[in-house]
Amino acid sequence: MQCIRLEYDVDGENFSSAGNASESVKRTLKQMGVAPGSVRRVAIAMYEGEINMVIHAHGGKAVVEIYPERVDIYLKDSGPGIENIELAMKAGYSTATESIRSLGFGAGMGLPNMKKYSDEMRIDSTVGVGTTVFLRVNFE
Amino acid sequence: MTVSEFAEKSGFAVFCRGEDRAVESGYCGDFLSNIISRAPDSCCWLTVMNNVNVAAVATLIDCACIVLCEGTEPDEAFYKKAQELKLWVLGANENVFEACKKVVKLCNV
Ligand SMILES: Nc1ncnc2c1ncn2[C@@H]1O[C@H](COP(=O)(O)OP(=O)(O)O)[C@@H](O)[C@H]1O
Ligand SMILES: [Mg+2]
Repeated sequence: MQCIRLEYDVDGENFSSAGNASESVKRTLKQMGVAPGSVRRVAIAMYEGEINMVIHAHGGKAVVEIYPERVDIYLKDSGPGIENIELAMKAGYSTATESIRSLGFGAGMGLPNMKKYSDEMRIDSTVGVGTTVFLRVNFE
Repeated sequence: MTVSEFAEKSGFAVFCRGEDRAVESGYCGDFLSNIISRAPDSCCWLTVMNNVNVAAVATLIDCACIVLCEGTEPDEAFYKKAQELKLWVLGANENVFEACKKVVKLCNV
């Protein structure tokens, strides 16, 4: 079965475009008639991942593959990497600065939300090289 | 109650108009991770946060309207994005609690 492949450059310098990729994916899924609950889960998981690339990794690339029964999302950045993934996954853990927190980010709920709203999640990260996050959301 | 009726009856400022629709619930919060995962559809979202990311999150959660509380006004980037995304952005001088009481009373949510 053929899939629809969408690619986005996620700008790490520009906060005003943060969320655009997630918004575009959400719109596409909605137009395709995907169940609202599934659209919502994809939007949450992807938004958190997209924001992480912006606030922690100077941006990156998002590739989204839409299949009839699921969505696969690859978020790839060349940022600082995550030293301790287990710690980073803890609810409330955040290294975000005060200025980032003043924008409403940095609650330390991004990775836990991504885990909660996806069916599969993998993080590959090397300190000093970058991070790739894989997210799969199966449609209900 | 629809957002336009609510805007009029509440006396809140109208910074930006979107497509008219019903307010079906409410949510208060400033941390975007909480909002995106917990705010119900078609809610009235009350916040004191004032930046462009509020507009992006509002679209993702599909809220009926944003109410900026405590006299918060949208900055330039926020205003532009809200217009582009056709979002309702209202402004209350009250704090979140007091503004919330108006939502409850008028919208019956
Ligand atoms: N793409 C990334 N690159 C580098 N570090 C990351 C990345 N994503 C997450 N992290 C690290 O994991 C921590 C927890 O992430 P998250 O749960 O999304 O919380 P928050 O983004 O609110 O800090 C971040 O504070 C950061 O240290
Ligand atoms: Mg995060």
